[in-house]
Amino acid sequence: MRKGSQIVLECLRAEGVDLVFGYPGGAIMPLYDALEGSGVRHILTRHEQGAVFAAEGYARVAGKVGVAMATSGPGATNLVTGIADAKMDSVPLVCITGQVRSALIGSDAFQETDVFGLTLSMTKWSRLVKSIQEIPAVIAEGFHWARSGRPGPVVIDIPTDLLKASMEFGGAVKFTPHQRPADTPAAPEFTDTLVAMLQQASKPVALVGAGAKLSGAIPELRQLLDRLNVPTFATVHGLGAVDPTVPYYLGMVGMHGTRAANTALHETDLLMVFGARLDDRVTGDPSRFAPDAKIVHFEIDPAQLDRVRPCQLAVMGDLAETIPAFHEELRRASLPDCSRWRAVACGPGRAELDPRGLAQPTIRFLDELFSRLPEDSVIVADVGQHQMWAAQRYHSDSARGFITSGGLGAMGFALPAAVGVQLAQPETTVLCVSGDGGIQMNIQELATIRRLGLPIKTVIIDNQYLGMVRQWQQLFYQRNYAETDLSDNPDFVEIAKAYRITGQRIHEEVMREFPVAAETGDQLDRFLRSREPELLVFDCHPEANVYPMVPAGAALSEMLFEEE
Amino acid sequence: MHVFHIRYRNTQGTLMRILTAACRRGIDTPYVQAEPSAHEHQVTLLMEVNQKQVGQLSRDWYAIVDVLEVDPAIAVHEVAERTRVARAISSGAPHPPGSAVLAGDGATQPALA
Repeated sequence: MRKGSQIVLECLRAEGVDLVFGYPGGAIMPLYDALEGSGVRHILTRHEQGAVFAAEGYARVAGKVGVAMATSGPGATNLVTGIADAKMDSVPLVCITGQVRSALIGSDAFQETDVFGLTLSMTKWSRLVKSIQEIPAVIAEGFHWARSGRPGPVVIDIPTDLLKASMEFGGAVKFTPHQRPADTPAAPEFTDTLVAMLQQASKPVALVGAGAKLSGAIPELRQLLDRLNVPTFATVHGLGAVDPTVPYYLGMVGMHGTRAANTALHETDLLMVFGARLDDRVTGDPSRFAPDAKIVHFEIDPAQLDRVRPCQLAVMGDLAETIPAFHEELRRASLPDCSRWRAVACGPGRAELDPRGLAQPTIRFLDELFSRLPEDSVIVADVGQHQMWAAQRYHSDSARGFITSGGLGAMGFALPAAVGVQLAQPETTVLCVSGDGGIQMNIQELATIRRLGLPIKTVIIDNQYLGMVRQWQQLFYQRNYAETDLSDNPDFVEIAKAYRITGQRIHEEVMREFPVAAETGDQLDRFLRSREPELLVFDCHPEANVYPMVPAGAALSEMLFEEE
Repeated sequence: MHVFHIRYRNTQGTLMRILTAACRRGIDTPYVQAEPSAHEHQVTLLMEVNQKQVGQLSRDWYAIVDVLEVDPAIAVHEVAERTRVARAISSGAPHPPGSAVLAGDGATQPALA
């Protein structure tokens, strides 16, 4: 006989889970009681949101399903932001929540919430378990949906009495998905159509998103792009998928994308999209997005097609299959010479301007920091100005080297996500880049980092404002800095000390000198090489802005630049 | 008005997910009928949507793992009495009881006739 809690843990092990993140509480206590000796290591965060973001960070770099656990009621509601984040960013995540006793469900019992209903619109799949016999099948199916197709979040809500109940258990089960009539991959003939479209195009471009990474087809994608040799750019989640040193790569596209990428995307007559959702931060005004382009969309999730503009050719399926098929066809095809287009789009006339203005020292600081990172380091960025600066200055070809909350834009993501990243890759240098606003949303996870002795390097870009909101207030609300002032921030170095983490501070003045002084460089080297948790506060100008910027509702061609 | 037929496995929450796709867009669903259909279930929805929403909804519904088939929107005036909904409406079916659109919306009725 096995208890429900033991069955849950054995099923988790059968799914390859050896690490979960969570926070205990009343309804989920039986599961915690069964943890010891189960083979599943539990990481105690200091808030359920920390647990779910840590599970996301783990999943994003490990390529495995992240698991978060919480109790009923407030424990479960605290998971919600992370669940929404996983949905937006296609992260395989399973959240296991305790629920009040079956007999009490619906009675507004203590710490009861309708977790199933609450998360219905943001989960890929979910279940409220109704009997102990269901547990093995529910866990098998939940993990299947979390990791298959476009990955996403799953919630499994288990009443506490089922965790305590016992039954004969014959072992974990396998889930076999049902077939759907329309679950058919792109017909092989798509390659003929696409080659014909390429042969008619004079300004083709390629846009790479997270789907390229999730498919695991990065080598195949890079070979294809080399063959195409057309101007190429990436979404924030696509960063690292393309080798940034190839001459046709133009960097990040979108609201804070590069001048060259946004301009080429606006001018193209054939846009090939490889695993990107084309959300509004990428497209700008949808009605003026790539106005002259035919769109070819390589996508695994049918829900992402035609969201912004109808595509002329939808290539449904896993990029690991469709990219090689396309490449194979290209080997036999002759492509038109688009060297003139490439020369314009990738030429010096559209090269990025050197950092200037109030943001220059901060950008230089990030450049100095990033240039000192060992190969295959992982940068975990929070949300705000620092996120965009970091994305703009990320020039690594490490496909899973830049992690951030892109779709949901959830402040507070980075610090707990860095915990998950470091646990997934213990030998990797993990650099958490946060802002003074975002860090305070989950600053309690410094305690998790300290307890585990994780050598995470946390950088706080401190401009004493909610910087991105302030930037919008400056540009679009006549400098009415309503409720964005954080000038009474605590001393983050002292806070780090309270958590027994070494803290230090660098003022932006030292970055005005170029090249930076040797002692500053040494300070950064020591910071990055330490095998202990470290925190570094960088004092940034309060009114530094992120440029280029496409204002909300504008076309990509209508970028704002830093004034001289 | 458009009619959608969605075939689905009647698993926990699937019908709610189907309805939520409309709710989150602020789209009213004045007519909903869910019923067993062979070994599965089918829900018929009537709603006022534009062409862009037709595409978005169809794709969102199909992304629900237990949805088996989505019959894309058909404008009611195009199907007239051939659809189940039209039959239900013309026979004065009471569901939903207070639906002004179905019961007495002058703009809709001629199209249904």
